[in-house]
Amino acid sequence: MYRLFFKSIYSRLFPFVLIVICLAASITMLLSIERVKDGTKESFSQSISGVDTIIGPRGSALELVLYSVFHVGNPTNNITYKTFEDISKIKEVDWIVPIALGDSYKGYRVIATNTDYFKKIKHSGNKEISLSKGSFQLGTNNVVIGSELAKKLNLKINQEIFITHGQNDKIGNSHDDYGFQVSGILKTTGTPIDKALFISLEGYELVHLGWKSGRKLFSIKDFDIASIPKENLKSSTITAAFVGLKSKITTFKFTKKIRDYKEEPISAVIPGIALAELWSIIGIVDKGFDFLSWLIIVISLIAMITLIMTSLESRKREMMIYRANGASPVDLSKMVILEAALIGLVSIFISLSILAVFNYFAADYLNNVFGVSTQFNLITPDEALTLLTIFMIALISSFIPAIIIYRKNLNQSLS
Amino acid sequence: MICIKDLIYRYDDNKTISFPDIDINVSDKVLIVGPSGCGKSTLLNLIAGAIKIQKGSISFESTKLEKMSSISLDRFRAENIGYIFQTLNLIPFLSVYENIELGVKFSTKRASRVDDITEEIRRLINSLGLDTSVLKRKVSQLSIGQQQRVAAARALLGKPALLLADEPTSALDRKSAMNFLNEIDNTFDKSCQSLLMVSHDESLISYFDKVVRLN
Repeated sequence: MYRLFFKSIYSRLFPFVLIVICLAASITMLLSIERVKDGTKESFSQSISGVDTIIGPRGSALELVLYSVFHVGNPTNNITYKTFEDISKIKEVDWIVPIALGDSYKGYRVIATNTDYFKKIKHSGNKEISLSKGSFQLGTNNVVIGSELAKKLNLKINQEIFITHGQNDKIGNSHDDYGFQVSGILKTTGTPIDKALFISLEGYELVHLGWKSGRKLFSIKDFDIASIPKENLKSSTITAAFVGLKSKITTFKFTKKIRDYKEEPISAVIPGIALAELWSIIGIVDKGFDFLSWLIIVISLIAMITLIMTSLESRKREMMIYRANGASPVDLSKMVILEAALIGLVSIFISLSILAVFNYFAADYLNNVFGVSTQFNLITPDEALTLLTIFMIALISSFIPAIIIYRKNLNQSLS
Repeated sequence: MICIKDLIYRYDDNKTISFPDIDINVSDKVLIVGPSGCGKSTLLNLIAGAIKIQKGSISFESTKLEKMSSISLDRFRAENIGYIFQTLNLIPFLSVYENIELGVKFSTKRASRVDDITEEIRRLINSLGLDTSVLKRKVSQLSIGQQQRVAAARALLGKPALLLADEPTSALDRKSAMNFLNEIDNTFDKSCQSLLMVSHDESLISYFDKVVRLN
């Protein structure tokens, strides 16, 4: 019977291949969407890794995450440097990295920090920030820039740039009296880091020496920078601080200490929780992906059932000849179901092969260009369940033509 | 061997046919003749178990077909009946050999009656006037007359007790029809097989032991 089965398929190779291509394309699309969706969610949740809490002025946790991690929006308040120093002395704290926001360069955020930022802050599942060119050096006149920024603005090592006060390139806003030299260009992370510039806190203070209440009072162009006392370049305030704890178990104890801090109102945000909350807010996109995935499943299954039915319609006579020669309805049903199973299995195999090859070669590209974190998985348990569902529906759908053939009287076709 | 008694069949349009009682013994060659629409093919389909018996009885040795389930009828047909269709019903993508082999493909009992299937197919083909070189060819490459012989070989393979033929000569000229019947007569085993053929061509009567007329 199996030889007959394969000969029959061989005789209808073209429509058979069309059905397989159609179903394989649908499955590939479905799994791709699922993988991109998961990858997007994964990279979103890993926009910042290795950080146990983010400290900032008391207010919305989401706002704090948005401006400190995603560099979106503006901080409404700052925290004092003394508070920062107090927090760093709390026994649960392993490390603490300050950031000061406010300036920009051609629309890109300038982050004032120290070189600990590059050592402690991780991305995309605990990957370290690394350089593609130059060094992490952050002297008062150094700037380390993200990869996307370097590419789009065609910035090179040692090139001098002038940052802008605030987020707008308005006339008079430019810190054109003090330039920063590009000391390093970061490798792509697929996170907001790619679109940021990093300067030292001292450099940040330096360019603001002549400024008060957002207005430039005097230029530091003719200043002898080396003669400015170090104390004058010490930050008085920062925007936020990233904290790593000695033990994650102490996270809630630590956040309570932050809440109970008397000197000024500050709060500690656990990035994972805040990011999950943020994802649930923008989850309409997630729901859109889900809807699209299910739509593709439904369409591909309808297409498959239709194609199998159409192919069987043209095979009714062949089936009746088998039956007239003694094949039982069970034999015929077996052939139909076997064909649906073969279509399903071949489609799934082709689809997984395409995805494996694509995943293997495009994972880095997706990560670098779109910031979508994808891992090389031949098949995940969720995907296996989806594929099993599709396979079972394919089998069940093949019962329809099998029953039609079973019920068909022989003499209707043969006489 | 086969006993048809009080058989009545009602079509969907309520047209009813009463068939005469017929007895067919081993080695009998029976011809059913009658005008178009008199129920010749219906009678063959009833005997073959292709359509359900509504009233009356068809006994095959001790087996009563009207009491058999659909699945049992399929098995019964596979084991005991070889069918030559008016429309031949050969499968175009199979070779001549594979088309003939279909006769025993779905019945282990029928296959067990043949020691060497390849040798038996060769014997049948030769006996029906074809060269064994056609065995590898696709049926679509054969003439109608050759295809008719292939269909006959398929029906004869595995020595089914009853050979049913529904107007097998309708597409052949008179000479070819005579040759075909002679070849069938030479090939089928009179010690264990019977032939029941339907035709509207009364000139074939001389080749048969019994003639049943339907009106």
